[in-house]
Amino acid sequence: MAAPMELFCWSGGWGLPSVDLDSLAVLTYARFTGAPLKVHKITNPWRSPSGTLPALRTSHGEVISVPHKIITHLRKEKYNADYDLSARQGADTLAFMSLLEEKLLPVLIHTFWVDSKNFVEVTRKWYAEALPFPLNFFLPGRMQRQHLERLQLLCGEHRPEDEEELEKELYQEALECLTLLAQRLGSHRFFFGDAPASLDAFVFSYLVLLLQAKLPSGKLQAHLRGLPNLCAYCTHILSLYFPWDGGKARWRGGTGPWDSGQGLQERAPPPTFLPCPSAEVPPPRQTPAGPETEEEPYGRRNQILSVLAGLAAMAGYALLSGIVSIQRAAPARTPDTRALGMAEEDEEE
Amino acid sequence: MSLVAEAFVSQIAAAEPWPENATLYQQLKGEQILLSDNAASLAVQAFLQMCNLPIKVVCRANAEYMSPSGKVPFIHVGNQVVSELGPIVQFVKAKGHSLSDGLDEVQKAEMKAYMELVNNMLLTAELYLQWCDEATVGEITHARYGSPYPWPLNHILAYQKQWEVKRKMKAIGWGNKTLDQVLEDVDQCCQALSQRLGTQPYFFNKQPTELDALVFGHLYTILTTQLTNDELSEKVKNYSNLLAFCRRIEQHYFEDRGKGSLSIRLS
Repeated sequence: MAAPMELFCWSGGWGLPSVDLDSLAVLTYARFTGAPLKVHKITNPWRSPSGTLPALRTSHGEVISVPHKIITHLRKEKYNADYDLSARQGADTLAFMSLLEEKLLPVLIHTFWVDSKNFVEVTRKWYAEALPFPLNFFLPGRMQRQHLERLQLLCGEHRPEDEEELEKELYQEALECLTLLAQRLGSHRFFFGDAPASLDAFVFSYLVLLLQAKLPSGKLQAHLRGLPNLCAYCTHILSLYFPWDGGKARWRGGTGPWDSGQGLQERAPPPTFLPCPSAEVPPPRQTPAGPETEEEPYGRRNQILSVLAGLAAMAGYALLSGIVSIQRAAPARTPDTRALGMAEEDEEE
Repeated sequence: MSLVAEAFVSQIAAAEPWPENATLYQQLKGEQILLSDNAASLAVQAFLQMCNLPIKVVCRANAEYMSPSGKVPFIHVGNQVVSELGPIVQFVKAKGHSLSDGLDEVQKAEMKAYMELVNNMLLTAELYLQWCDEATVGEITHARYGSPYPWPLNHILAYQKQWEVKRKMKAIGWGNKTLDQVLEDVDQCCQALSQRLGTQPYFFNKQPTELDALVFGHLYTILTTQLTNDELSEKVKNYSNLLAFCRRIEQHYFEDRGKGSLSIRLS
């Protein structure tokens, strides 16, 4: 029997199942289609099979790390959320995904990685706390540089001689994009009727990141909150498909399939709807019990290792600087009496 | 443009009517211009034709450097210079001509989304083919791009541009794609456009919009440009309604008006 598919993705925070855009999109799609994935929520990208997150290990051992390809693979394995779409709706999906990528993605990157206040207080803080030692020292900075480069190449040719102007232009386009999405969604539950499709997974991941993260300077957030149908859309999907990851009251069934890596089978949506919260969720617990128990052994091990390293460093320094010296002892004679004997002889002579 | 500057520009724009001597600048048509730039230029020309605004096309070797944003084509109207289709559409709208006024909100959203689709997939595929496919680069692109300049400037500029484009491709995730994957993306895009067009004459039924101009610009250029192989145009030719669409716009807006500015006719 083929091994089940395994998905490695960034773990959750800020009231979301995952803090990374791509991981969120893939997770949401998997939940929509009920794909039997073993989800590993990790905070160390070097532990994933491809070195980046998200990554999918298929049942044949192949590793895919581009989000679009992951979704294509799931589709091939017959977990297709777009099955019922007409040809025209499929075309609309492509078009709106391009719209998202061109208009919303730059602003999302800017909001989380470039805007200094947001970066220091929210993004870097989360990553520095979540990543294990010693990655937490250099990885957030490296990720920021990568995102900055990507942003510059995306908006590219308008050189940021005037950072403010570029920012204003970006935000204006994003506001327009949000309004367009709101108009397209109207009062439907999902973009194409009553069943979610892949477009919903992507739109949801973009919007919910903007909505839920507690950003100190969130102009886009303010605008988004002013579009009630999009807010309702996000909270609806969050409560329907991620009731236990949403940082709300724990899933009453006891231990939810947190991050213990158990197979995440799709269940029917919980029969009782949790009262639809407003966009403000209760302050999410940054270190919930699940990942804490998993990180405990690593924490203890890290402590022991660091104490040993400290001891070794001190001993090495002491030896090298001569505070402590080891003398070769001649066998079958205690060095002390021998030394004493020699000293006495010297004195006598 | 910042909000204040934009409002200022639109006010000035609105004040003057469209002059007779408006010009559009692009690179030299015969020897220098590349596939993607030709497509963009044709799209703007088609758009202006659809709005019934006269425009003269002027070819300059340094058009790319004259342009305020570094991209061609750009138009010189009165004492203002505007480049790229998006800002040109807004500029023309400020002067009181618009093709998309009759659309409702949902249709406007769809139009913008499809324009982004064309930019995201078709334009990127054209850039990839021109600058990242070694056969095309060697045979066509390098020679054409550097043709107005003496040695060694022609090589230097061509390599510089190629390096820039390759960096951008890597940033958006197309760096590792093979030519076949790119052609497949083009096919997907054309399929989406074909399905959206259906049997209607234009994308939003009776009246053409800037989306029609953009799609026409790209598809027509793909169909009529000679590359090292015909795979790209074959992908487009698979969709008969897109071919009919291009022919219709060509006949209606270019031949009938006696412009005849399209040097190559669709067979």
